[in-house]
Amino acid sequence: MRLYFEVARRSFQRHLTYRVATLAGLFTNAVFGIFFSSVYRAFYQDGERGVVADFTLPEILTFVWIGQSLLMLVYLWNWWEVADSIRTGDVVSDLMKPMDFQLYWLSRDLGRASCHWLTRFVPTFAMGALLFDLAWPGTISTWLAFFISVNLAILVSFGWRFLLNLSAFWLLDVRGINTIAVLVLNFFSGLLVPIAFFPGWLRTVAEWLPFRAIVMVPVEVFLGQRTPQSALLIQAFWVVALRLLGQVVLNAAVRKLVVQGG
Amino acid sequence: MDSQIGAELAICRRLVGARLRGQMQYRGSFIAQIAGNFGVNFVELIAILILFSHFGAIGGWDVGEVAFLYGLSCTSFGIAHLLGSGFSSFSTLIHQGTFDRVLVRPVGTLLQVLAAEMQIRRLGEALQGVLVLGAAIGFVGIEWTVGRLVYLPIVLASAVLLYVALFAIEATVCFWTTQATEVLNAFTYGGSDMAQYPLHIYDGWLRGLLLFVVPIGFVIYLPSLYLLDKPDPLGLPGFVPFLAPVAALAFAMAAAALWRLGVRHYRSTGS
Repeated sequence: MRLYFEVARRSFQRHLTYRVATLAGLFTNAVFGIFFSSVYRAFYQDGERGVVADFTLPEILTFVWIGQSLLMLVYLWNWWEVADSIRTGDVVSDLMKPMDFQLYWLSRDLGRASCHWLTRFVPTFAMGALLFDLAWPGTISTWLAFFISVNLAILVSFGWRFLLNLSAFWLLDVRGINTIAVLVLNFFSGLLVPIAFFPGWLRTVAEWLPFRAIVMVPVEVFLGQRTPQSALLIQAFWVVALRLLGQVVLNAAVRKLVVQGG
Repeated sequence: MDSQIGAELAICRRLVGARLRGQMQYRGSFIAQIAGNFGVNFVELIAILILFSHFGAIGGWDVGEVAFLYGLSCTSFGIAHLLGSGFSSFSTLIHQGTFDRVLVRPVGTLLQVLAAEMQIRRLGEALQGVLVLGAAIGFVGIEWTVGRLVYLPIVLASAVLLYVALFAIEATVCFWTTQATEVLNAFTYGGSDMAQYPLHIYDGWLRGLLLFVVPIGFVIYLPSLYLLDKPDPLGLPGFVPFLAPVAALAFAMAAAALWRLGVRHYRSTGS
């Protein structure tokens, strides 16, 4: 346990040093947050509609800004550290160490996520709250449930990214699978449009996939559209399922692994 | 002089050819990337269609008219992304100090950086844009006059030029810092995304930014007012829809000047 904590702590500190990149990232989040907010505001004004698919305008703006705040926290795009270590062969020394390979990478990711809670989530959400009228939860318990749900979202996201990275054991070049993964995630996590807006059959597809547990479910908890119990159930299921699947794939990969050099 | 330009172009053709062959080595991944780039935009389009299925219109523009803006922006952005790939991966050139190599070769720096990379997978983006643009033109039923017929390709070329210039600026900033590329993503990706909706839905300061700082509004939205025969809610003078080539050229010249400044400022990372 001590080891994993230490790994997480170092990863936290390493991410804390990227100051310019953090400011640049916050700027980008703000730009896209303002862009999406402007689009939704204009849509709602044109239709003179109060509620669309269970979302009022302040609620949809809240969805926009939670989405922008979550982006780096759940590290949706372009995390290929495990794949890189597979490509360079460094993975061998990690596999030989007396530790759980998946837990080791999870610790690194949790260290990173704790840093991004402070440097990315909080400032981005605060900007949204300053610039637009958002919908706020009425009770402390909803805030608490949201906090738990976001942390579970990080675990689901890690499970998925870890699996994707393991594909490097079989594929020489992961750029192709990366592009496909990004588009599936963007859409089925509910990042682009809330899943409640989807036509019926597409919503059914989205509900069977793990991706909504990464963005949409925390948003629904925050807005009180989903009970904390149901969110917990969905997210915990995917955390466990992806962790087990990751282990199975990892075992298969290690069995076929051949390394050059000594 | 002529023969020198000819020689430079021949070198560029060779460099580009080598890059293209290199990319096709991992065939499966290559195909997935083209499909994926097509798909990323396709998914964004689906999202827009889903929104229109609930709302019907935005800022007085219907789905076909917004699709026209979208097609215009995606097509030109995709082509610019393809042509300007060298700029988008320029930060590695600076990081690794390989820009030194560019400086000692007897070919212009801009041309070399442009030719150093040509990501064909970007074709997926452009192709999708063309399809949407075609469908939108069919859907909105543009009243074709000679003027509109002639102006549409000019608008597309202007938009491509503007986006390439934007990528060039993104690369130029790397001469000073390579840590802020994400800020510039907000202008390139953000700008092309914002161009997909009618400009008048944005707040005044953002509109001003999109017209007079990064003149994307001049190459996508304003020409579309003329092409689609839409009223101008901003009340700008009647000739502004025709300023697309002027705005793009001015912006490109500014970008080129900035590039020369950057090259002069360059200090190698190597020892």
